[in-house]
Amino acid sequence: MVSNNSKSLPLDGLRILDLTVVWAGPYATQIFGDWGAEIIRVESIKHFPATTRGMVMRPTKEMVSQKGSLSAYPDRDPGERPWNRTASFNAHARNKKSMTVDMTKPEGQEVFDELLKISDVVIENNVPVSMDRINVNWERVSSVNPKIVMLRMPGFGLDGPYEDYRTFGSHMAGVVGHYSVMGYQGELADMTGNTLTADAAGGAGAALALAAGIRYRNHNDKGIFIEIATAENFANYLGDHILDYTVNDRLASPMGNRDISNAPQGVYRCTGEDRWIAISVNSDKQWESLCNLIGSPELAKDPEYSNVSRRRSLHDTIDQLIEAWSIGMDAHKAMSALQAEGIPAGVVMNEEDAFSDPHLEENGFWETLEGAETGKYQYASTLWKTASTDRSHKRAAPRLGEDNEYVYKELLGFDADKYAEFESAGHIGMDYDI
Amino acid sequence: MVGIMPLDDVTVLDLTHYTAGPFATRILSDYGANVIKIERPETGDPARMLPPFYEDKPGLERSGLFLWLNTNKRSITIDLKKEEGRELVLELVKHSQILVENFSPGTMDALGLSPTKLLEANPKLIITSLSNYGQTGPYRDYIGNELNLYGMGGSMIGAGNIDHEPLKTAGRMVNYHAGYVAALASALGLYTVEERDELGDHFDVSIFETATHSIDMRLNRLMGYQYTGRLAGRQSQASAVGSGVHPCADGYFLITGGARFIPNIIRMIGMDELLDQEEWSTPEGRAHPDRIDEFLPHLIPWTLSRTKEEIRKEAEKHAVLGGPMNTIEDLMNNEQFIDRGYFQEIDHPETGPIKYPGYHFTLHRDEDQPMPDRKRAPLLGEHSEEVLKEIGLSKSEIETLKKQSVI
Repeated sequence: MVSNNSKSLPLDGLRILDLTVVWAGPYATQIFGDWGAEIIRVESIKHFPATTRGMVMRPTKEMVSQKGSLSAYPDRDPGERPWNRTASFNAHARNKKSMTVDMTKPEGQEVFDELLKISDVVIENNVPVSMDRINVNWERVSSVNPKIVMLRMPGFGLDGPYEDYRTFGSHMAGVVGHYSVMGYQGELADMTGNTLTADAAGGAGAALALAAGIRYRNHNDKGIFIEIATAENFANYLGDHILDYTVNDRLASPMGNRDISNAPQGVYRCTGEDRWIAISVNSDKQWESLCNLIGSPELAKDPEYSNVSRRRSLHDTIDQLIEAWSIGMDAHKAMSALQAEGIPAGVVMNEEDAFSDPHLEENGFWETLEGAETGKYQYASTLWKTASTDRSHKRAAPRLGEDNEYVYKELLGFDADKYAEFESAGHIGMDYDI
Repeated sequence: MVGIMPLDDVTVLDLTHYTAGPFATRILSDYGANVIKIERPETGDPARMLPPFYEDKPGLERSGLFLWLNTNKRSITIDLKKEEGRELVLELVKHSQILVENFSPGTMDALGLSPTKLLEANPKLIITSLSNYGQTGPYRDYIGNELNLYGMGGSMIGAGNIDHEPLKTAGRMVNYHAGYVAALASALGLYTVEERDELGDHFDVSIFETATHSIDMRLNRLMGYQYTGRLAGRQSQASAVGSGVHPCADGYFLITGGARFIPNIIRMIGMDELLDQEEWSTPEGRAHPDRIDEFLPHLIPWTLSRTKEEIRKEAEKHAVLGGPMNTIEDLMNNEQFIDRGYFQEIDHPETGPIKYPGYHFTLHRDEDQPMPDRKRAPLLGEHSEEVLKEIGLSKSEIETLKKQSVI
């Protein structure tokens, strides 16, 4: 790091209209908000966005206590306004603002036009038909503000036979073949379909698309329309498997935690409930160190185990030896011991580990923010670090409609009467009116 | 002035190797950046020797992983351990806006290419360092790879089956995610330099931290844990009504159910009358764990008598959240991806023309210009002379560098 905290946040002054839902789109605006852009979430009290602000609008205490519930609420209590207390929303929405408008009404559409005129970016990640209903498309947006950057991120694209197909990241992962690679070796596909990597990839991709789009606009003095089909973006993550198929006609098959180039490689049980260590040996020297560490020095010199392909064919035997050692070890101590010998190893960290991790602590990874209807909790800091900027978060996730006064009065110049009129017409509020 | 693509007039000095770093610079090159990849003489990027290989025969120009990760880039070989090599990098830095590197922390300093030195050469340079655990902190010098970084930072503890060990995701997802973040950090750094007239900067991207900070479940679960004290762990096959990977006529189909979505699933399988029954008519009733086992005998015969694609079409029609468990072959034959012209054919002297995955995102520019074709990955050192000429080296200077084995 080369300089002191002299700069303001790099994206100060950039305004983004945010019509994103669930995770992928919100992750993109989270990153921009963290670095100073003003993110205005455009929401509606006439429409509950399931999965964005909770799975159901008013879950009971019993529902949110059940195992497997996708929504977590502080102290397992949905509270008076559950939509302001759901973990999946609050995890990404720090530093964002929330306003409400009913865009199914003409005056709501006018409000949206006024917002478009004073914004740099508009972003959405809905199934296209939902945006058609409220007339959100490039033609309209660019006619109102020709210098805007518009990013749309439908799951599979704005055209084609899958246009109306709505999915989460896990389903897109299924379509692109992710689970033909991820899975336990020799076992049926079971509950492996539970990863949302496509959302993280989509969010990061959308953020990069915005950065590219904003540069295009600034240098050409005109807006640009960008489309990121989240599934297309994610299919890139399987690039080497795709090439293995297109050049060698080989179909990937699940290898569990094993690897072609590294052996042994696996996740081994440690002392305690659901405690594991991930170990990967990628050289003969590391293999020798591992043998000595786990108390099998005789194997280090045994020609049967002398290279990767031999170790791969004896993997089951090796796994038993490693686990006989690791089962008596604390996972963190096992990691330290392995790393001290130069062997790539890491604890399979649970949530508790992340909050007590000395490395994250020393790097200032966690930051405490207080939410009005949630309380004090810790939030991940910016995605990357620089010493030159004060990167601290400005506020916790916005409650639904929390910034209506700011948006309608300060940004759009509404007087008290007009504001009241929009309140009674079902545009402005902090409670769903459905 | 930007021409056709947003990053057309941006030069990226690429000191990355293996996967995460090359992924970052590949994305920048996709959107116009002139990426100059600096490789070690003779052996190059070690990813050149990682599988899969064309016809399974290893060779510097035959790795599918390398070919895919390095499209559009130009390759120049420089021996960074030689003083002349170091000076050459500092010269190239003067012609670049961004430098991305993913050496082990401390390596750049040891090579005499510390951020301070680089910024002396070009005060407006954006330097992005990408590493396993970041440039600071107690794990800084830990060795890491995809598996254990996913374990440390990612959502691995929640991936896989409850009665099995935690399971790695496909490929190198954790590395690519960090690569995306490094590309983004670089692009936003450029924004600061250009739009706010700031000096250059040094960004520290840690794969461990970007994984901990990923919305692939981890971020949500970390907040959820603070709210409830619950460790998410791995789930059993059916954790909510209708949810799971269900067998069908030609494979498996993943469905997301639960109290909110089950009515659509019920309608999809034509059991609408179920919704009239008391326990199925309210969200509370549908959320009861008893519903999980009650529903499977209705659902499974229905899925078993249909193919993945038939179910997908029904799911689309009924707004059911679900997806087929496809193979790569299914993907290559997928009507949506074909209809949109997703895959790109790229020719290469060793492999001939082969299909690659397409662009991450599409720029719809108002002149209705299509996205340009990607260029194949460079042969090792293919562009050494070309690049050095561009920055003003004479023929004899280039010859001298060759003789000294610098390039």
